[in-house]
Amino acid sequence: MLKTPHNKISYRFILSLLIYVFVPLQVCAQEESTIETSNNSYPSDSAQAWLVKMSDAVKSLNYTISFILLKPGVDSQPYLWRHGVNEDGLEMEQLNLLNGPGREVVRIGDKVSYFEPNVPPYSLQSSIINGPFPSEFFQLPEKLMMSYEFILVGRSRIAGRAAQQIRIISKDKSRFGLNVWLDQETGLLLKMNMFGQDAQLLEQIQVTSLQVTKDPDPFFTKIEPEMLPEVINFGPSVPLNSPWKIGYIPKGMTIIKRDLRRLSGLGEVVEYIMLSDGLVDVSLYLQEIQSNKQQENLVGTVQSDTLLTIKHGELNITIIGKLPAATANTIAKSIQRIN
Amino acid sequence: MSQKLENLSAFVDGENGVSSSSNSLLLDAVKNDTELQLKWKSYHLIRDGLRQELPVNVNFDIADKIAQALESEPLILAPKKTWRDLRLVSNIVPFVKQGGQMAIAASVAVAMIIGVQQLNQADVNQPFNAAPPIPGIQGGLSPVSFDQTRSIPNSGAVEQKRRINAYMTDHKQQLRFKIIQSSNDKAAILKQNIKNEEVQSDIVENTPQ
Repeated sequence: MLKTPHNKISYRFILSLLIYVFVPLQVCAQEESTIETSNNSYPSDSAQAWLVKMSDAVKSLNYTISFILLKPGVDSQPYLWRHGVNEDGLEMEQLNLLNGPGREVVRIGDKVSYFEPNVPPYSLQSSIINGPFPSEFFQLPEKLMMSYEFILVGRSRIAGRAAQQIRIISKDKSRFGLNVWLDQETGLLLKMNMFGQDAQLLEQIQVTSLQVTKDPDPFFTKIEPEMLPEVINFGPSVPLNSPWKIGYIPKGMTIIKRDLRRLSGLGEVVEYIMLSDGLVDVSLYLQEIQSNKQQENLVGTVQSDTLLTIKHGELNITIIGKLPAATANTIAKSIQRIN
Repeated sequence: MSQKLENLSAFVDGENGVSSSSNSLLLDAVKNDTELQLKWKSYHLIRDGLRQELPVNVNFDIADKIAQALESEPLILAPKKTWRDLRLVSNIVPFVKQGGQMAIAASVAVAMIIGVQQLNQADVNQPFNAAPPIPGIQGGLSPVSFDQTRSIPNSGAVEQKRRINAYMTDHKQQLRFKIIQSSNDKAAILKQNIKNEEVQSDIVENTPQ
């Protein structure tokens, strides 16, 4: 039990000897592995390398994944998610809501077709599916590296498979964090938790089964690309001369859409702005205050979205999205008239 | 010792494989060794620190405080003699008790019936739980419910509810029609970021003075 000083010294000596022998060995091993994965510039055991592995796997493998989406206050939603790459290198993806009348989305290359109850089917020219999960993050995790920190946490067992846990935290705490578990073998997603400031769970995706196959699922051979609905063309957006300026946009977020629109149900014209950082999308609505309409300040949550409505100067500002109420408030308060 | 420490460290990090026999050996060792117990505590603290999972207020030695509190608790050595110890009363008490239990059971049943009746009534006054159906392409959106955290006066509540529903519906619609043209090239992402920034500054500069 190393009680005597003599023992302690010899113990230290052995320890330092071990360090001298092993550290160079390890460095060698690391160098080897970085050479191995030379197509990405991150060391093979870093969180970044794992996310690159995930995005490669999401885009290149043939897989069938079943997952369940959980949100507070709503019933759980089971989904089927298939992906395949055919002989010509064309990506095909399918997302299917398994409960109720269903909702089916099919992506062939850059054309995404939506089949939903009560809505005529339509297609969009886009490279991602607008669905219950952040497709953009799965395909382009690099987008987050500027504003989020990636931490490799450890290994655990998810959906019966060995998993690597990665924690994704907003550097300036202006957005919610993520816990992601990736399959040790393939790098595909096994579980994703979105958590708030006090580490409370906001939204969860739990994979229940994962199959990676050599060939794409036979489902994809049945699709006839000519039969898919027409692509909706929104027309070129007219550049908007807005009198308002947003002083604070959280780091990593960009304005991806800005226009004037008439709100359905209210018939009022508002200025609409969408901010996105590749993981969360936030909607801003600006409306000049009319004297006859009294509006109260309000903050709350709708499922996992934060909703904030405040009166600021001459404007009523409403912000909706998966972000902390404090950040929404800072954004709203930073909006000014340009002089 | 060092082997034990290493095992303990691996165990705390969840990297100790799954062989339960070695784990239970380790746990037994921890139970019997105060030094290992201290290590157990500090390793968990280190792990939480590294994973940034530390709580806002770190409370060390809760166990000690509870032990102290328990020691300072006054002891009750002998029960006081009460009127229940009289023979006559002690014979009656069981009957009364049984009767009391019956009464409790009966009142629980009544409460259940009332409760179920209450539950089955439609809740009319709940705020923000129904969105009006929207015609056209926006149909098929589920109504949103709203948990409010700040109280609002009753007068504008209906109007506000309508507004919130309209905003939520529009937000969902915007997300549905979002178009992303992503490319696999990282340089393109950076370029895109720069371009977006330029677009932003355009908006700022081109507006009428």
